[in-house]
Amino acid sequence: MAYRVLIVDDSPAMRALVRRVMELSGFELTACFEAANGEEALALLRSEWVDAILTDINMPSMDGEEFMRRLHADELFRSLPVIVVSTDGTENRIQRMLSLGARGYLIKPFPPEALRAELERVLGVPCV
Amino acid sequence: MFERDWNHALAESIEDVLEKMFFISALQGDEPQPGSARSDVVAQLSFEGEPSGWLVLRISGGAARSIAADFLGAEEQELTSAQVGEVICELANMICGSVLSRVESEAAFRLESPRLLPPEMEIDCEGAATRTLDVGDGRLTAFMKTGNPACPTAEKSVC
Repeated sequence: MAYRVLIVDDSPAMRALVRRVMELSGFELTACFEAANGEEALALLRSEWVDAILTDINMPSMDGEEFMRRLHADELFRSLPVIVVSTDGTENRIQRMLSLGARGYLIKPFPPEALRAELERVLGVPCV
Repeated sequence: MFERDWNHALAESIEDVLEKMFFISALQGDEPQPGSARSDVVAQLSFEGEPSGWLVLRISGGAARSIAADFLGAEEQELTSAQVGEVICELANMICGSVLSRVESEAAFRLESPRLLPPEMEIDCEGAATRTLDVGDGRLTAFMKTGNPACPTAEKSVC
């Protein structure tokens, strides 16, 4: 099975890396969408369905926390699995994002295989 | 103790970030040399929390291009200066977040967006944790400092 993933990060370089890591790791993608902040991501979600979202926290316009709040407030998006991908590995931040509904949290830097493993975990892909 | 912790965390973080996300093994370099080259790429970001501070990353032009190519999986000659700058900003972001997580894992921080500085800009690096590494065909030096001023260019002494 292949998946549709949305990457939300204000750094074009980081979006490119995440996409590349997914492809190189063998994670099966049918579509990969990108947004530079929460606002762009919400706009995109109105026209494109995705299976999972990878989001940064510190972003201009609408940051990751507000993005999570908006997702959680919307019945249509509430069940979408979200993985936070952030440099912030402090306990406070991790707990706050999980309490806002994030299903996973990857701290940068992470080994490439960790991204695939986390995606497969939140998507319920059976281990081979 | 404070200084040793920050220096140690900075060294570990740079090596960890380069290895995991840039697929680069770096060698420890000599002490940073004063002055700068016009081709250097310099990224800076500030963080707020307990404590607040800043990180500055200075990378020679060749090394910056090589790092960006590894990160993006592209050929060096294909990259624009903007792409190289974006990658070095992201590198600074990851190093800073990694250091803070190691040193103050219980605290809360807010990292500002990284920005590029003109390579000739003078940085107040006195008392900063410092790490220099040889990367590819150039050199990377990171400076990290806590306390005021929150901006490294607010005072002048050349790094």
